[in-house]
Amino acid sequence: MGEFKVHRVRFFDYMPSAISKMAFNFLSERLAVARADGAVEIFKFTDNYFQEKVIPGRDGRAIEGMCWVGQRLFSAGLNGEITEYDLENLRPKYSMDAYGGPIWSISSNSQGTLLAVGCEDGTVKMFEVLEEKIQFQRNLDRQKGRIISLSWHPSGTKIAAGMMDMIRIFDAETGRATHRLLVDRGLGMSKGREVVVWSVIFLSDNTVVSGDSAGKVQMWDSITGTLRKTHLVTKWDVLALSVSQDESSLMAGTSEGTVVQMQFLQSSVEQQERQWVRTRTFKNHSHDVRALVHTDCAVVSGGMDTHLVVLPLLDQVEKSSKEAKLRKITFPHRSLVRCARKAGLLLFQFPDHLELWRLGESEGQGKHGDCLPVKRNPEKLLQLTRKGEDHICCSAVSPCGGWLVYATVSAVRLYRLQYDNNNVSISRVSKLPKELRTVHQLCFSSDSSRLFASSTHSSVVVVALSNPEVKHLHTLKCKSGSKQPLHLLVPSDDGKWLATANADCEIHVYNLHKMKLHCTVPVYSSCPTAIAIHPSTCNLISVHADQQMFEFSLQQKEYTEWSRRLHKEGLHSLWLDRDTPVTRVAFNPENPAHIILHDTFMFCIVDQSLPLPDAQTKFYNQMTLRSLPAAERMRHSHAFKICKYFQHLMTVELLEDHSLVVVERPLMDIMSKLPAPVRQKKFAT
Amino acid sequence: MHSRAGGQPLLNTKKKNPHVAFYKRHTEVTLSTNMAKKQRGKTTASSPKKCTEKPTEQFSFMLESSDDEAPEEVTFEDSKVQALRSMNNALETIRRERELQKEKRRKRQELFQEQKKRKLLPADVLDEIDTASSNTHTKVGDEDGEKRPQEVKKKRKKNGIHVNTRNFTGSYKVTTGEDQTAASSFQLQAAQDFITSRLYGPGVCRSTSNQLFSIQNKKGQNKNAAVQFVKKDWASAHKAKAEKLKKRWIHKQKLTSC
Repeated sequence: MGEFKVHRVRFFDYMPSAISKMAFNFLSERLAVARADGAVEIFKFTDNYFQEKVIPGRDGRAIEGMCWVGQRLFSAGLNGEITEYDLENLRPKYSMDAYGGPIWSISSNSQGTLLAVGCEDGTVKMFEVLEEKIQFQRNLDRQKGRIISLSWHPSGTKIAAGMMDMIRIFDAETGRATHRLLVDRGLGMSKGREVVVWSVIFLSDNTVVSGDSAGKVQMWDSITGTLRKTHLVTKWDVLALSVSQDESSLMAGTSEGTVVQMQFLQSSVEQQERQWVRTRTFKNHSHDVRALVHTDCAVVSGGMDTHLVVLPLLDQVEKSSKEAKLRKITFPHRSLVRCARKAGLLLFQFPDHLELWRLGESEGQGKHGDCLPVKRNPEKLLQLTRKGEDHICCSAVSPCGGWLVYATVSAVRLYRLQYDNNNVSISRVSKLPKELRTVHQLCFSSDSSRLFASSTHSSVVVVALSNPEVKHLHTLKCKSGSKQPLHLLVPSDDGKWLATANADCEIHVYNLHKMKLHCTVPVYSSCPTAIAIHPSTCNLISVHADQQMFEFSLQQKEYTEWSRRLHKEGLHSLWLDRDTPVTRVAFNPENPAHIILHDTFMFCIVDQSLPLPDAQTKFYNQMTLRSLPAAERMRHSHAFKICKYFQHLMTVELLEDHSLVVVERPLMDIMSKLPAPVRQKKFAT
Repeated sequence: MHSRAGGQPLLNTKKKNPHVAFYKRHTEVTLSTNMAKKQRGKTTASSPKKCTEKPTEQFSFMLESSDDEAPEEVTFEDSKVQALRSMNNALETIRRERELQKEKRRKRQELFQEQKKRKLLPADVLDEIDTASSNTHTKVGDEDGEKRPQEVKKKRKKNGIHVNTRNFTGSYKVTTGEDQTAASSFQLQAAQDFITSRLYGPGVCRSTSNQLFSIQNKKGQNKNAAVQFVKKDWASAHKAKAEKLKKRWIHKQKLTSC
């Protein structure tokens, strides 16, 4: 496997933002997740829950409601605006003030023609969904007190609105409030507090289900306006409700972090009448569950503890299939750390600032597993706070460490860095070519003379960097006509090639000497999560969301022999079972047969010269190999060398001096900074 | 007399304490200073030592006594009369202050009104402006379309950069309403406060992450030391405070021992 000196970096204080809302698109099976900082993430469920797109947040855009209308995504937030997102350019398309104060919820009717928003001032406002925009239609009867939650009846004729202490039923056609359902307050201490109806759901059999701050899930008859059944689910709040498409199962998320399932069942075999029965309780969160989605075979939950949990319902899926596993998505599926390999610098990207660190130095030699004494501590060289309200969407540092660039949805800023002894001076490059306006990904060429920026319609802007001025050279365009944004942008070390990957799963390779498209890799059904070009053999390695791996020769424009063999023999089942995607591919210049890959829980060196493991081989065999004599070792070793010593990896990178940088973010550090969980008394603790 | 009560409580605490409590409560109400709250907390604790320490600062000007004298007997009526007198005094001073302030305010008001009168233009000039401005206003409205309600603002902020501003002859200019964002940010703040108060406010039982870790540790298969011992950088602020308190305590112990 080779031995490395490892910089174990734990000073990246990455803090994911809490999940505040989710919306699932049943047609395309994509989940939109809104975070507390206003960022929106799109997960593709058909492709191994890959995080396909990220729309960066903005200060003050606190999203409280989100819904899909066809393939269009709308959100509404406490800043009082309804926003539609441009999913091709990863930015808000437009925002419209609803003029009703902060918006607490948004919901569309099943036909997808109308949007209803619930406002702070007590109005439910209807917006008509037009081709390119939305238009205000009318207000429903104004109520006293804020409208916290909204739900349309599937027929589109009635709307239920959850408020303080009550639920209102509106007639959507006339706009009149027809019923007023009073919700009980909690017992004891909380009797003086108003109860908040955090969530309502209107079922097609005219039942209204409500979840409130007194911990109740209640079923109401909306025709008579009477309470049918109360389930006391928790002592704290019921914050989210979600119902399956066939309306036979209902989930309630609570402040305790539990998700409670209720099912619409017959109480006995003879009885025809069905009723809601509380069946199961799941606990996968340590903090409040604020968002829930009930898909056909799984429950997706998210909340204050920032994890996205996909919990399969085992009565809906086959036991041994891949869907039967619990998924916990904590880290983004893209790297937030950039490394200047020559200068030994690390750039950490936060939503509102960038940090540039110089790695420490150690002295002496040690044997395997030793901790070397640190000669010089790592040092924070620079903290760069962004300008404006938009959060940083991507950033890059050049390999020599002389350039720094970051982009928000509205602007790109390029900086020149100069180091003299211990001082860093930074100067902004004021004049940038106007092509650098909408940017999704940024990277520098290996000799730091070019800047590549991905722009609209999968095009790449090439910019020449020279000291006095920065000049636009060329815009590389792909011929496929894809409108999807690029999420990967990788230049080769010799400066000849540039590989790009977009959300349509296409990988294009450009020749930078001729400034034109060289070839397109055959499209694989799963989205590439990491690509890289080998420095000496010029082969393109791509790793996909379903854990498959390909090697494509750029000279021959075909898959290499090794890649074909890999697919003929198939990858080991343990490799395919991993649940986090590979986010980075690197190479070892000393041994060209080595490919370094990493995901959140392991890093792996693939040795192309060794035989591939078959299904019977022990996959994780590092320990046994070490105990064997040297002659035996060769016979038992296979191509995949996996190290799980470092966990919760943000990035793994090989520096120029042949030392490995491993950036970890322990989950405990994240958890210790989360807001307070509820107080629970556990027996004998 | 009160200052002594702290030093020698044995002699006349029995008699005096009710009076102290009595007029203290009244003065608190009338004076209503920040001190009052502190004192109230202490009287309820009903320790004779503490309750007489603070008020001495306030009432020393009216209750003179020398420290070397032996304590003398004070009857209930006497102390009551004295207390009432001091209360009246306090009330009197407050009333006087209020009247002074009223007077001040009245004078300022008059000054303002006079200034306003001085600034007003003569009637004929005003008429002229009236006829002229009606013309210009209609013109501006046409040009901008009916996008936003426009408002005439006094040119107060000279350095403020308004993109949609339009200069007029004189010291007026027309600008679009910009304070809308301020209002919405206030509403946003209020809405966020509502959520935090409902989820984390008083009455909601919340613990700390440290307790959560502790419970997880206790329930887990393999138990190890608490987080603050395992992780050195955990709760660094608490640790620093504890260290400081410890040093102070040691220092105190040394002082008392020698």
